[in-house]
Amino acid sequence: MDDSPQTFRAIVERHQARVFSIAYRIVGERGTAEEVAQDVFLELHRGLRRLESEDHVTAWLRRVACHRATDALRRRAARVDMAAAAYEDGMELRPAAAEFLPLMNRVEQLLLTLPPAQRSVVLLRYQEDLEAEDIAIELGMPLATVRSHLQRAVKLLREKAQRSLKEYCRG
Amino acid sequence: MVEPIRNCEEDFERELREQLTARDAPAGFAERVMARVGERHEAHERRWFRLPVWGWAAAALVAAAAGGGGLQYEHQRQAQGERARAQVMLALRITGTTLRDVEQNINHPVGRSGQAGNRGWEQKRDQKED
Repeated sequence: MDDSPQTFRAIVERHQARVFSIAYRIVGERGTAEEVAQDVFLELHRGLRRLESEDHVTAWLRRVACHRATDALRRRAARVDMAAAAYEDGMELRPAAAEFLPLMNRVEQLLLTLPPAQRSVVLLRYQEDLEAEDIAIELGMPLATVRSHLQRAVKLLREKAQRSLKEYCRG
Repeated sequence: MVEPIRNCEEDFERELREQLTARDAPAGFAERVMARVGERHEAHERRWFRLPVWGWAAAALVAAAAGGGGLQYEHQRQAQGERARAQVMLALRITGTTLRDVEQNINHPVGRSGQAGNRGWEQKRDQKED
């Protein structure tokens, strides 16, 4: 594809919400998410001539955003440990914080208690509306792994959300 | 109160899909990306501009060394060829001389050593007759 400034800017404007959302929902912090999203677009700019169509650009951005955000998460090892501990202990939201969070933020918070690989799969399924087969291709994972991640993630989220949503629905 | 909770559970996946719609990127995100692209482009240009100062000198040195090496190699190859040619010519000359001697011996069986030998035999024969 053409990598002229006009074309590239149009691509950034078209996909910025998608890339930022993936990064934010994986790393869980706006500053880091923006940094990751910017890096993804810079990487796209370097390789734009090799991509043939808009569909390729979209798939490339999804895949690279998931991978770079997961890398950023790994770099912040301490935070990963905290999330893993929360995941293993079955810890839910901190009540004081959960009380004031809007519903969307609660789901995003719950998402952060999942292991990173499950977060990517859930995002591609529910944010990007991809089928399991497409997720397997985009993330380079076996289909069975994607299905297993999805099943476990949804089960965990449902269990974790039950208490949270109960509180929310009770108002 | 129980009914909305049950609905929430039943439609959990639909809820997830609805709640995980893409968030807006922070204000000015595209401008910041374009600015970084511009900075990188300028840095790239500067690198190219700086290259002739020392890069071209290094490239010229490498080219000269490669060219010199090539010439030396060609010169060595020519010298080797000349030596081989001289050796072949010498071998041909020796072979020619040898062949001429052999041919002479075949056509004229009495050579120099043969003549001496014959002369000795003739001398003995003359002494015997005397």
